[in-house]
Amino acid sequence: MSATARDEEQIGPETRGPNTAGATTAAPGSCVRPQESSPVYWRSLDELAQRAQFRQWIGREFPEGAGEWADPVSRRQFLRLMSASLLLAGAGFAGNGCRRPVERAEPFGKMPEDYAHGVPRYYATAMPAHGSAVPLVVKSNDGRPTKIEGNNLHPDSNGGTDRFAQASILDLYDPDRAARFARGGNTCNAEAAYDFLAEVGRKARQNRGQGLCFLVERNNSPSRARLRKSLGDQCPQARWHVYDPVDLDIHRRAATLAFAKPVQPFWQLDKANVVVSLDCDFLGSEGDVHNHIRRFSQRRRLEKAEDSPIRLYIAEGLMSVTGFNADHRLRLPGSAGAPLAAALAAGVLDAVRNRAGGAAAGPAVAALAAEVRKLGGSNLDALAKAAGVGSQWMAQWIGACAKDLAANPGRSLVVAGYRQPLEAHLLVHFMNAALGNLGQTVSFRPAPEADEGGLPKLARALDAGEVETLVVLGGNPVYTAPADLDWAKTQRRARTVVRLGYIEDETFPVCDWHLPAAHYLESWGDARTSDGTLVSIQPLIAPLFGGLTELEVLARIGGAQVTEPYGIARETFAGLCGSVPVEAAWRKFLHDGFLADSAAQPVQVSLNAAAVAEGLARVKQLSPLSKDRLEVIFHRDYSLDDGRHNNNGWLQELPDPVTKIVWDNVVLMSRQTALELGLKNSDRVEVKLGERIVRGPIWVQPGMADYSVGLALGYGRRQTGRVGRNAGFDVYPLRTTANQNIALGATVRAAGGACAISCTQNHWSVEGRPIVREADLEHYRQHPDFAKEPDAEMEELPVVAPLYPNPFDQLKRKGLHQWGMSIDLNRCVGCSACMLACQSENNVPIVGKDQVARGREMHWLRIDRYYVGRPRAAKAGPQGGESFFDTFRTEAEQQFERWIEDPQVVTQPMPCQHCEAAPCENVCPVNATSHDQEGLNVMAYNRCVGTRYCSNNCPYKVRHFNFFDFNKRPIGQFYLGPFGHRPDDEWDLIKMIKNPDVTVRMRGVMEKCTFCIQRIEQAKIAQKDRAGASGDVVVPTDSFTTACAQACPAEAIVFGNLNDPKSRVSRLKKLDRDYTVLKALLTKPRTTYLARVRNPNRAMPETGGTR
Amino acid sequence: MAAQVSPIQAEGLGHSSVVSAPEPPPELERAPLVANNRGFGWISNRVASLCEGAAPAWWWVLFIPSVLALGMLLFMVSYQVSTGVGVWGNMRPVMWAWDIVNFVWWIGIGHAGTLISAILFLLRQRWRTAVNRAAEAMTIFAVMCAGIYPALHVGRAWYDWWLFPVPNSNSIWPQFRSPLMWDVFAVSTYFTVSVLFWYMGLIPDLAVLRDRARSRLRQFLYGLFALGWTGSNRHWSNYEKAYLILAGLSTPLVLSVHSIVSLDFSVSQLPGWHTTIFPPYFVAGAVFSGFGMVLMLLIPLRSMFKLQDIITMRHIDVMCKVTMATSSIVAYSYAMEFFIAWYSGNPNERFHFLNRAMGPYQWAWFMMISCNVLIPQLFWLKRLRQNLLAVFILSILVNVGMWFERFVIIVVSLHRDFIPSNWGYYRPTWVDVCTYAGTFGLFFTLFLLFIRFLPMIAVSEVKGVTPQADPHNPLAGAKPKEVLYEA
Repeated sequence: MSATARDEEQIGPETRGPNTAGATTAAPGSCVRPQESSPVYWRSLDELAQRAQFRQWIGREFPEGAGEWADPVSRRQFLRLMSASLLLAGAGFAGNGCRRPVERAEPFGKMPEDYAHGVPRYYATAMPAHGSAVPLVVKSNDGRPTKIEGNNLHPDSNGGTDRFAQASILDLYDPDRAARFARGGNTCNAEAAYDFLAEVGRKARQNRGQGLCFLVERNNSPSRARLRKSLGDQCPQARWHVYDPVDLDIHRRAATLAFAKPVQPFWQLDKANVVVSLDCDFLGSEGDVHNHIRRFSQRRRLEKAEDSPIRLYIAEGLMSVTGFNADHRLRLPGSAGAPLAAALAAGVLDAVRNRAGGAAAGPAVAALAAEVRKLGGSNLDALAKAAGVGSQWMAQWIGACAKDLAANPGRSLVVAGYRQPLEAHLLVHFMNAALGNLGQTVSFRPAPEADEGGLPKLARALDAGEVETLVVLGGNPVYTAPADLDWAKTQRRARTVVRLGYIEDETFPVCDWHLPAAHYLESWGDARTSDGTLVSIQPLIAPLFGGLTELEVLARIGGAQVTEPYGIARETFAGLCGSVPVEAAWRKFLHDGFLADSAAQPVQVSLNAAAVAEGLARVKQLSPLSKDRLEVIFHRDYSLDDGRHNNNGWLQELPDPVTKIVWDNVVLMSRQTALELGLKNSDRVEVKLGERIVRGPIWVQPGMADYSVGLALGYGRRQTGRVGRNAGFDVYPLRTTANQNIALGATVRAAGGACAISCTQNHWSVEGRPIVREADLEHYRQHPDFAKEPDAEMEELPVVAPLYPNPFDQLKRKGLHQWGMSIDLNRCVGCSACMLACQSENNVPIVGKDQVARGREMHWLRIDRYYVGRPRAAKAGPQGGESFFDTFRTEAEQQFERWIEDPQVVTQPMPCQHCEAAPCENVCPVNATSHDQEGLNVMAYNRCVGTRYCSNNCPYKVRHFNFFDFNKRPIGQFYLGPFGHRPDDEWDLIKMIKNPDVTVRMRGVMEKCTFCIQRIEQAKIAQKDRAGASGDVVVPTDSFTTACAQACPAEAIVFGNLNDPKSRVSRLKKLDRDYTVLKALLTKPRTTYLARVRNPNRAMPETGGTR
Repeated sequence: MAAQVSPIQAEGLGHSSVVSAPEPPPELERAPLVANNRGFGWISNRVASLCEGAAPAWWWVLFIPSVLALGMLLFMVSYQVSTGVGVWGNMRPVMWAWDIVNFVWWIGIGHAGTLISAILFLLRQRWRTAVNRAAEAMTIFAVMCAGIYPALHVGRAWYDWWLFPVPNSNSIWPQFRSPLMWDVFAVSTYFTVSVLFWYMGLIPDLAVLRDRARSRLRQFLYGLFALGWTGSNRHWSNYEKAYLILAGLSTPLVLSVHSIVSLDFSVSQLPGWHTTIFPPYFVAGAVFSGFGMVLMLLIPLRSMFKLQDIITMRHIDVMCKVTMATSSIVAYSYAMEFFIAWYSGNPNERFHFLNRAMGPYQWAWFMMISCNVLIPQLFWLKRLRQNLLAVFILSILVNVGMWFERFVIIVVSLHRDFIPSNWGYYRPTWVDVCTYAGTFGLFFTLFLLFIRFLPMIAVSEVKGVTPQADPHNPLAGAKPKEVLYEA
């Protein structure tokens, strides 16, 4: 990240200084001893007089005569007998009636030193993700990790994170995670497993690793590499295999091939003016999404008319988050990626030649030019057909796009997605070379070629009976492996299978030994972020169920001296840091979470013409698609990834950023495809590919390429935890080794019936209302205040002085803190990380698919997604033109309206707007919601009786009602009321994730965004503490922020003090793009939006021509 | 059917000469309020006998299902309170649905009773006497049914008392700016005054029942509630004054309750709710539905209890006319809502009203328009007003229509408001339906108990409107010829 950007827009993740919130609690005072002069207490006049009779009476334990029984059985005797018989009776029941008394450790009878009750601690760590890592700072309350934030000290981070990092904390407390060591499915003790691992290692070392195979996921941990190397030295015959269901390694492979050097491309979107994406969802489902979003959004910053934001072109089959943000989007089947790359490359060559007067970018480019031109020209008609447009139109699209690229030499970027074949990637590198982008907008970092095999190779070895011991570290191959490998059976061919797994899933039954894996928040380790910086993985809690890490298993098999992960990580670090003494560097490493200046140095590359030529030869002619010959695109799910987050309720309930569907995957198709197949939303269909079949509901997705079918991975698990069970359908059975990403020749037919789909936003259109405001860059430059135009009519009305002055006008002048928020729609890409950050910070419950279908989801912050039709003029045609009555159509009818085929998309985060004149407040009969002095619309849960009137009167509908005890009862038992029960094991874990600073709401109360009032209060208290006698209690500018703003990698959400003119929010609100949603209602929200500005290319055909 | 009144020779009353009065032209003659020249004794006998003796079989046939439905209500309410509001279909954005629809509907039903007993009393509409007692009872029971909903639709019903201005340890007063707060006062005042008014009117008739009671228990209970009524001049004089005062007190309440209920909506800023026309429009609608309900109840009752002479076709006719008049006011309001939505130029308002007529809930709007505006216009036909079956069916449709009016106002306004991403479609659940059905159980249980144990006709008042009771009538003090004690 560039230094300038850091200086401009830095917001710390959290105030990390000591917080004294709990420091004032005094120790309980001892009883006051009565003084000599204190009054005398007496029980009777006798006592007062101290008569002898009274003294005698009081000296006796019992009244006279009570001690002696006349009976020969004395009282003592009787008691003795009774107690003996009770004892015997008790002994008789002891088998099932007596338990050892529960021992409760009362915390902090003596307070540990350096501990302040209620003050959270923050630790730097990192989450490994798909061969990279996300640097994190994790909050810990009383030893439990409770909230994940990005580490903004990291050189390649602004403190933003992605969805998965935010939600990963829930996995830690997953009640269904593997909690035992198992042998043959039966619980065994850990020592037996350790002995077995040692035995495996001993045997392997004896026969040099013959028959020992490892199956791992992609990962760049230096410790793993080191252990692997040392293991390899001892057991050279041991084989390593890597399998990631969603394999992003193609980028490295293509670059390595294209440049004949082991390199990994690194997109520097922040340096680009024009980006062309060929089916590359770099803002959604590629690796390191949060970094791409950050860089992309930096280039979408628009503070004054002269700023020129990035322009994004995309050609893709699925509608993706990146497609949302494109200025020009071409619906094109995924299989047309390479032909389009060729055509575009030809266009680029022409454009570069025209521009540079014939001089090509380099010898390799020149050598390939003729071939590229030939290939590009031959595909044009087929491409036009695939995109459903005329040839002329297509040529114009490609031409204008190429011209735009060529106009920005060294400042443009072409990228291809992981689903695209190698040849498309090679062509992309060719284009970047031709455009002079190498080393500019795309740099290359060394990435040594790995010698691992893939899953097919392992399958061959297994089939050949060569595998004695298979060690599966992570992953769930039985579920995710290509269908043709029939993995459950194949894996069984190993004599012994040892697996380290996080959950007892589909792979569990085919393992001989199952070791529980530790969560990354429980384990020591290390990783490298995408820029190569070494980051520490530091635990915040001891393994809850005694889980192991990969490193530990490898160390035990390798017979290493140090088998505890801490030692391993430290040893690796000692080898890497290169400074002496190691201890200080290690401590700093752990504290900061990364090793400074450890980023990989970019390498210079030049195009290898031979490799690209080979790639060109592989570009196939486009085969036409039809309703009987569909294309299937398998895509990484925005919520579940490849299925690894299946049991994570937050992610299951996070609306898919594109479809807004929760708890399900669907068969995505375009309006035209559905129409031709005679299907409508939610119809259950059968997707047939060869002989393989899967069944699921369809969903008409605006912006899908015709005859393309999108299938999300990760659902339909046969064996998983309580959360993920019964969610969606499994598409892995269609996926074969040959067709991992895009498959051709599928058919879809109705399978009868319909499935219930829960979608959080059914209505697709904004109905022409000025809720989201946008303009083209040109228009913006001419009318910088275009965002305010819809309110102009209101401004013209004669101003009637209000009867009562707005108290906040006064407070804004005099008060210390007035909180407000600004959301930049130009920077928001719709990634939804903020929603999960909010859920995690504010103890927002999940409600399940059924309740979402009933409109009862609880997300305090939602992301509205609207499809925008083209201007009416461009819609001329037999079905073109909007009818006046269109608005009143139902959502079901809407899906067959023609305008949805090529929509533009806007996303709008919508938290509570914190209106100064809040309509919710004056209708609450019990004063449960009211305003505080700092402009917050606050909610007293304890006072709420739940009339729900506030929600009815809220024009933004951002208030959420606890229709059931969503926190107390498990999903599926809401309707049982008091008879519903959450098992103790579930409860014990789930309650640990709660933020202790935020009330957990019961049923029957309203809740909503509070602007993270707990963070505000903590910041204020901390400042008061710092201020001491100085009286300077104003919280320093932008020293803290809300959870959503903190998590936003795009920095689209900015929160701060409006009374501080230096705060970012004050500055942003002064921008001319600032507008208020529903301003005419005079609710005076504290949350305002910055209008979206698109940057279309006037030369593109969509802007005028017909298709 | 109007019986021709002719001068009768008054016999045995000391008049020696024939009294002759100028005979008005027959077309100007009003039908008498008690038909067939029934005498005082017959009236007392007829009405009181309904509360005496064994209950007729049809009473049991109605009563047992009503009690069962009441039991269902209790189950539904306990289920909802113990489990959560989620058992209903309410959702975001439709946070109020059948709960408030039914609340407003039942409150509306109640209106006819108070209007008949108070406003028509002050306006000296003497025909009211035959129906006011039953209508008032209907009011009270309807308000009880209505009261269930606001009390129990909240998320935490056990804290309902926070809505009352009672000192509490929280030291927080209710929010007096909230229309829900006003509702609490309006409905509770309305209920209290209605009960008082009703009970006041019952006292002379309870005394009649007391005097006729044979069993000790009945004597004791009726005696207890008759408050020692002897029918002395002083009693009557106090009674009349109190009645007038209560009528005066009730009159503004007739207008205030539903106006305030309507403020729940018009004070908000939701398109479709935020309308100044609501208070009068709601009152008209309430009277409309109230009269519909009175007709629906009294038409079968008068046949089953053989009360045709007291609740005459003239009464039915008048009530049909009131229904039609209020229907027209309601129709005007509907039209005016559309006009204002257009005239205001507010795009949200315009959208909302077009969405009512053309959106996904179009069917509800059609139900509302046909039942409330179109069908009641049939009452212009006198022949139809005289056809009891037709009137009965129409009165049911009126109530169906008014239910849909509340549904349209509440649910349809909420389901598509300002921000399209919030739009949703509400569907009720079985608990919604059964709770609503259960309130009918409560209503009919109470009403059936009422007609069984209390005089459903105001005996003393009906006597007061017979020709014999009018000192200016030639029949004043006359004893009708017919047999006093018929079976």
